[in-house]
Amino acid sequence: MTDDRREIAVAELIANAEEEQSRAREQAAGSSARSGKREKIFGKYKIKDIVFLAIITACTLVTGAVMPLLVNVPLFGIIQLGLGLQFSLFPVIGMMKVRKPFALLLQSVFISIFLVFMFPPMVLIVVCALVAEALTLLIFRGYKNDRACVFAGTLYMPLTIPLLYMYYNLFYTVSGEEQAAVSMFLGGGNVGLIIGITVAVIAVCFAGSLIGMVIARELKKAGKLK
Amino acid sequence: MAFFRYKSNLYPLVAVASALLIMVFGLVMARTVACSYFLLGAFVWLFIFGCRKQCLKVLPAYIVVGGIFTLVAYYAAGRNADAALAMANRFGSVFLALVPGMSIDAVAMTRNLSQLHMPRSVTLGMLITMSFVPVLRAEIKRVREAMKTRGAGSILNPKIFYRAFLIPLVTRLAEISDTLALSIETRGFTLGKSKYTVYKKESINVFDILYLFGLVAGVVLACVL
Repeated sequence: MTDDRREIAVAELIANAEEEQSRAREQAAGSSARSGKREKIFGKYKIKDIVFLAIITACTLVTGAVMPLLVNVPLFGIIQLGLGLQFSLFPVIGMMKVRKPFALLLQSVFISIFLVFMFPPMVLIVVCALVAEALTLLIFRGYKNDRACVFAGTLYMPLTIPLLYMYYNLFYTVSGEEQAAVSMFLGGGNVGLIIGITVAVIAVCFAGSLIGMVIARELKKAGKLK
Repeated sequence: MAFFRYKSNLYPLVAVASALLIMVFGLVMARTVACSYFLLGAFVWLFIFGCRKQCLKVLPAYIVVGGIFTLVAYYAAGRNADAALAMANRFGSVFLALVPGMSIDAVAMTRNLSQLHMPRSVTLGMLITMSFVPVLRAEIKRVREAMKTRGAGSILNPKIFYRAFLIPLVTRLAEISDTLALSIETRGFTLGKSKYTVYKKESINVFDILYLFGLVAGVVLACVL
């Protein structure tokens, strides 16, 4: 009789414990879903995120040190062609590690102070980063997907083309009487050439973004990019 | 009295403003002889105001690179001296604008931005980016030495470049980043809205004003004369 009672009590205790556990699990799942929803798009930045982004920006800066030389070559899109690979490869690695909105914007802010000394109009890259981020957030809702990082990395540099085109148009009309330079830069008004170079810049940036993605995936697999 | 005390370095934001002024004016006025005089004057002015080392570093690079491009412009424009002058001035302004930038100390810039209440994440990022370049150079050298030791082959081969150079470099950077982040955290740095003080404040000095005034006077003179 007492054995039966004990067994019933044990069974009830186990059932009660299981019920409690499942309730706690549900509560935890609910709260993490709520916080997940909140942090899904706009995650809080930690020091390690900022440090990694800054270091990867230093890589972009060092490899992009040819910019002061390229700015004076009067050929349409030469800066973007020369720097497209570096300015897409490293930012993509940064975005794939941090995976938070404004990762690209932060990288462009970090580099902008150096671009003031190298070539001030390139500071507009901050605006380009903002546009690329906005488009990525609209389409992909964050950087969880690798394709979102590649998309943002591909758009980042080509977006400077129209801005620099406007700048150069203004600049060369003020200071450029040497017609060769003007016609070379504007491609002699050749729309086909402008489109061709723009496509080439996008292709270079896409290739750079893909390489960046492959590197980041490989490092993640090796456990180096947590 | 600190306002009148002599100091060897420029106020960071004055350096940024002067770099902008030199470059924009130099590029816009590139085809005039007055621009050459302005750039020469700015070089001397920078030399006087504590950028001696940077001026001497930039000069050989300008002579080589600027000289090549000036020659190219001269022959490309059918032996046109005006085109050569414009190209020489453009390169001169770009290289000269680098000088005040090179003179800025990363810590001074960070202090200056912190005083202006820039977000801490931005100042920290800028500080790391500015001061990380020599470390990065050393790492690149180390990876290349490792390649040589292992007999990995030519770096110009894309496969070798990717496998033996790029992957080890990024791996190393990720490791450095983790260590650095941990080191910053253990020193009590936070990104929150906690109050902080700037240990050594950067202040504008009479020499900064004189330096900037001299450059502006140069611009005016180049336009008027």
